Amino acid sequence: MYYPEPISKLIDSFTKLPGIGPKTAVRLAFFVINMKDDDVFNFANALVNAKRELTHCNVCGNITDQDPCLICQDNSRDNSIICVVQDPKDVIAMERMKEFRGKYHVLHGAISPMDGIGPEDINVPALLNRLKDEEVKEIILATNPNIEGEATAMYISRLVKPSGIKATRIAHGLPVGGDLEYADEVTLSKALEGRRDL
Amino acid sequence: MHIEQLNLKNYRNYEQLEVSFDDKINVIIGENAQGKTNLMEAIHVLAFTKSHRTTHEKELIQWDKEYAKIEGRVTKRQQTIPLEIVISNKGKKAKLNRLEQGRLSDYIGAVNVVMFAPEDLNLVKGAPQIRRRFIDMELGQIQPTYIYHLGQYQKVLKQRNHLLKQMQRSGKPDKVMLQVLTDQLVEHAAIILEKRFTFLKLLRTWASPIHFEISREREELEIKYQATIEVSEEVTKEKIETIYLTKFEEMQTKEIERGTTLIGPHRDDLLFSVNKKDVQTFGSQGQQRTTALSVKLAEIELIHKEIGEYPILLLDDVLSELDDHRQSHLLNTIQGRVQTFVSTTSVDGINHETLKKAELIRISNGEIVN
Repeated sequence: MYYPEPISKLIDSFTKLPGIGPKTAVRLAFFVINMKDDDVFNFANALVNAKRELTHCNVCGNITDQDPCLICQDNSRDNSIICVVQDPKDVIAMERMKEFRGKYHVLHGAISPMDGIGPEDINVPALLNRLKDEEVKEIILATNPNIEGEATAMYISRLVKPSGIKATRIAHGLPVGGDLEYADEVTLSKALEGRRDL
Repeated sequence: MHIEQLNLKNYRNYEQLEVSFDDKINVIIGENAQGKTNLMEAIHVLAFTKSHRTTHEKELIQWDKEYAKIEGRVTKRQQTIPLEIVISNKGKKAKLNRLEQGRLSDYIGAVNVVMFAPEDLNLVKGAPQIRRRFIDMELGQIQPTYIYHLGQYQKVLKQRNHLLKQMQRSGKPDKVMLQVLTDQLVEHAAIILEKRFTFLKLLRTWASPIHFEISREREELEIKYQATIEVSEEVTKEKIETIYLTKFEEMQTKEIERGTTLIGPHRDDLLFSVNKKDVQTFGSQGQQRTTALSVKLAEIELIHKEIGEYPILLLDDVLSELDDHRQSHLLNTIQGRVQTFVSTTSVDGINHETLKKAELIRISNGEIVN
């Protein structure tokens, strides 16, 4: 199929986005052509600015337009607790809860020797420096509950242990408000393992 | 349980087939290359969604066709359940009770099948991985969490092997990370080992008496689990973990040197011995065959105990390989209890009473001829 070059470039660009296949890319590209000039211009600007103005916070590694980020600057937050997560999106999820008043540390990944990702390739050294400088009493390891996330959490907890800082791991089990009958066997068996006294 | 009806469409050499079965013994007769094993395989696929012969699913689709379909009607606890498997270039769909199952693991187990084919001789003769796969498949059928732990174990193992390889190459060992992965590995290894021990105890209680009888009370079968650590089968999971951890510590230097994980359930094996002699090395062809048969028959009893019904037995081209005594023992054991499919090129050599009452299905070139 022949497309004029500007369109085919646009299609190619859309294909690079996650969840967008060739057909959707064509559809989006043709939609953009029919959009108002202003809208297209703003859209392009938003894309460029998002990329240009956002950096990683020097303290916690989260994405931000100010360095250090707003959460790191916030003095009303508890400096003694750091919640370690894998991804900036995890920070947003935690913040939605509006209950956690400590600080964050974003790793941008998990340790996976298979993919050649070691502790130095994710934001671990910065975390260790932070623990030396700041007065931290507890780190909460909120990495994903899969093999790599679990290994990363265990790894960090071992590094931290000698310094006397408490390292905790978030719990796994049944989702709140769900039905027991819909839980899969493995989640159920984990929930059973982690049962507690009433 | 038994299969009442089987419909095939575009499956291997069957363009269209509708066949109903007897709930006792069905003998499938045909010359070579007419589709006897394909029919057996179709029943296997209906049970496991997988072929026992190939991992390339496209082979199951008839040449030039888009998809292959297997439909079956299975009676289980006095209820009839429709099953359907569709294999196409896009993948596989499994329907249970006409409802599509999102996960294949929700489908598997709807009908239980035990197969005994010439390749099963490898269970005794072949490489250790064949015996491990046998344990894993059987345990997976009766314990869904076993599959999960096995999967997790294999993932950690892969990570750990990569780390060891990196340490071997770079020469600067990250011992903390290794310890983390070792702990993760041991956690799942201990669960796997504990579950395998329990399974083995059950298998033995059935296999040994069966073997004793088939061999006319001349042979005593023993099945030993050969682990990479020294451990008795009676200990708790926690104890197994401690033993693994100590052993891993001893092996650390060696593992880094070799750049791979040297101990764990992925290196374990089963040891069959008859009258205290290792069957794999010293057994005769006949002894090896009897051992494989005893294990398969034990599997039938095991499934019966776990789920309360006898599975369906597929005997592909093996009856003719057994001597008269073994044949009649086999047929006596299953008589009237287990729906059985026997494939053979002719009934001449088989004189057993049971077979004379059996339903005969003659196959020629992908069609039934009667």
